[in-house]
Amino acid sequence: MSAEAAAPDAATSDRAGWRDRITAEALIVLFAIPVIVVVGFASYAVYVQTSSTYADDVVVNNALGYGTIVAQTGEHLLLTFVAALLVVAIAVPLGVVLTRPRTRFLAPPVVGVANAGQAAPSVGLIVLAAIWFGFGFWTAVGALTVYAILPVLANTIVGLQGVDRTLVEAGRGLGMSSWSVLLRIELPLALPVIMTGVRTALVLLVGTATLATFIGAGGLGGTLQTGISLLRYPVIVWGAILVALLALLIEWLGRVLELVARPKGV
Amino acid sequence: MWQFFLDRQPQFWALAYGHALLVLLAVVIGTVIGVAVAVVVTRQPRLAPVANAISSIGLTLPSFALVGLLLPLTGIGPISALICVTFYAIFPVMRNAVVGLQGVDATLVESARGMGMGQVAVLRKVQLPLAWPVILAGIRVSTQMSIGVAAIAAYVLGPGFGAWIFTGLTQIGGVNAEAYVLIGTLAAVVIALVFDLVLLALGRVTIPKGIRA
Amino acid sequence: MTVTDDPTSSSTSGSGSEISGAEIRLEEVTKTYPGQEVSAVKSLSLTIPAGEIVMFVGPSGCGKTTSLKMINRLIEPTSGTITIGGDDVRSRSADELRRTIGYVIQGGSLFPHMTVAKNIAIVPKMLGWDADRIRQRTDELLELVSLDPARYRDRYPRELSGGQQQRVGVARGLAADPPVILMDEPFGAVDPITRQRLQDELLSIQRELRKTIVCVTHDIDEAIKLGDRILILQEGAEVAQYDAPEAVLASPANDFVADFVGAGSSLKQLSLTRIAELDLSEVPTARVGEPTAEARARAQAAGHDHLIVLDDHDRPTAWPWLRQLKGETIHRGEEDLVNLDHRATLNDALDTMLTSSHGAAVVTGDRDRYLGVVWFDTVTSFMRQQQEALAEEGSGA
Repeated sequence: MSAEAAAPDAATSDRAGWRDRITAEALIVLFAIPVIVVVGFASYAVYVQTSSTYADDVVVNNALGYGTIVAQTGEHLLLTFVAALLVVAIAVPLGVVLTRPRTRFLAPPVVGVANAGQAAPSVGLIVLAAIWFGFGFWTAVGALTVYAILPVLANTIVGLQGVDRTLVEAGRGLGMSSWSVLLRIELPLALPVIMTGVRTALVLLVGTATLATFIGAGGLGGTLQTGISLLRYPVIVWGAILVALLALLIEWLGRVLELVARPKGV
Repeated sequence: MWQFFLDRQPQFWALAYGHALLVLLAVVIGTVIGVAVAVVVTRQPRLAPVANAISSIGLTLPSFALVGLLLPLTGIGPISALICVTFYAIFPVMRNAVVGLQGVDATLVESARGMGMGQVAVLRKVQLPLAWPVILAGIRVSTQMSIGVAAIAAYVLGPGFGAWIFTGLTQIGGVNAEAYVLIGTLAAVVIALVFDLVLLALGRVTIPKGIRA
Repeated sequence: MTVTDDPTSSSTSGSGSEISGAEIRLEEVTKTYPGQEVSAVKSLSLTIPAGEIVMFVGPSGCGKTTSLKMINRLIEPTSGTITIGGDDVRSRSADELRRTIGYVIQGGSLFPHMTVAKNIAIVPKMLGWDADRIRQRTDELLELVSLDPARYRDRYPRELSGGQQQRVGVARGLAADPPVILMDEPFGAVDPITRQRLQDELLSIQRELRKTIVCVTHDIDEAIKLGDRILILQEGAEVAQYDAPEAVLASPANDFVADFVGAGSSLKQLSLTRIAELDLSEVPTARVGEPTAEARARAQAAGHDHLIVLDDHDRPTAWPWLRQLKGETIHRGEEDLVNLDHRATLNDALDTMLTSSHGAAVVTGDRDRYLGVVWFDTVTSFMRQQQEALAEEGSGA
């Protein structure tokens, strides 16, 4: 309901309405995630307020306190979003270049390399980056960016290739420059596919950012790591749950972005 | 680095075997579960969006979090690693199998029933073969993902090259750290490529000529 | 060509029927694609007079579309010169050139993420028109292609039928009032009845605007119907014949043309003769909103059991039997009445009548104004006369 209430204009001017534009699957995900997330965070709060384990064990107390969790969540989100911005800033222009007639021939090798990169285990990439560039936030961001480029790049290419060639020619035939055809026709029409890539990248990033803690870049993985290394089950379980909730929240955000970014009429 | 590799060849092959076996088992089990669920869903089309939503949400779960969640239940070791990797292997196969089975032309199913085939025969002889290319594409995605997840599962002592990556991590600053991590990572990439080639070849052999792309 | 027979030519305003098109000349134009030995277009020379519709027709692969696209430089010629109104098309940038040439493509090729109004406004916007002028022009064009601006302005293409999309495509091509309009299979993607209506409308618009229109089609009937001249092309865009439709039908230049035009040219005559050449019958009319009783009385006095309902703009909206009239006042009627433009061919008329319960068709003039009715018998007796005339000619010679 919130989606419909937020855009009454869209609903009235677009005769086809929301029902046609959203799959049943997306609808379920959009509704289920907020419920899971609210219940999850509420249980965590109840646990912190009431559990005797939490109150008695200093390690648990430190690892699961609001202060730690809020700080780690902030770091985690920062890692995710900075990397996502870099991914979009690199992958979309690259995808544009790889679909232009003159440079199209470069697409197969570049996508091949990106594919191979994706096949590398994320944890390996992150640790390698730390060995080569040192510990810290920006190393983690760099490794995350490299790891998440493929979905956005591939979807940008597929999305642009999917734009009806006659529409491009119609634009040129009306006297639009190739640049203006790109900005006003090709990219808007490819946007839904590109945004699906962005959502995939976001989910990949929020998951992989849990590993950033290994190289001192913070994030909610820290709580998990603490729990595992000190073998405190409450910390492990709650750390895992909180990471999962954050990932769900990001997936939800990606879905909403996908809906919002969809041009009307398409 | 070559010397490093030569010195640790036996261990290298053991890790390769462990990594590959873990992924193979996980993908086989994941495929069986994924296809089975998809078959049920095809009987009840209303469930398809639910199954897809579960796939979406399941794939959202960070693998490191699942590793953590499994620890209290199944402890440290290969069983935890197998469950963890299998969990992720299910969803891409399941999603593609749902799409593939639903994509089979209803008139074909009807005509098969018309010829007197039972439900199981229709499934075996018509629906699954026609959906197989899509399912196989899902298996390829699952395999790629499983190789990465297996590396992370090494954090709770699962088998495979994750062990070298984490060894490298603990030895950062030491002489062998880079070699451990680099060889571990590259070896995982090679395993991924080999698996992908095998699956491609499997496709060549198993996809009926008439529907090959 | 048959302006004298045109019953409404006197009623259209004088300024509207002045030629606003420009002459196009192609001189020794050749296009050879890289890596191909045979030229797609070989040394084509052609003059397209200002204000005429010239149809490029020929089998697929004959180079007709290539020839068309060289005029707005979507394809650059390998050699040769093309001028519009005396100016070489290469004298300015391709983008600038194209903003002065209307371009209409199969199916309309509307941009799905832009509303109807935005689609039409593309070229005026690039030309720097202000918002008020663009809005005015958009509404004017929608009226011209028989779409109610208030209803359709803000719709998205997918909310339109194929025929409506194609209409908007034509409006978009006309947006900046270009002297020359290029059309590439403009009505290829719609059903036959819609196609016929769109063709009629194009003729009606052209009567008002007198642009130079170059139109590619593979359909010889469409070429005969729409063209002031027809250019029949053989492989390599070699000109097989370039002449008025009557001349092409009467004396094909060679076997290729004869084959292409096809046998049964007396049947083809059906697509040459326009409704305007027949006598239209009078049928009682009524206005939307008029008291039903008065209208009924008038129709019965004239000895008819049916009447035609007209709206404020003299456009026919329904053709009910008197017994179907209900309510105090006349209303629009629900079904979409299929009208015939008076420039429609006898072929079209027969098609339309087959779907009419009256065995007749309502004929309209410019902007869908009501002119009269043509009966099935009228068409068949006209054809019989024609046949007899032809037979006499034959025996005389």
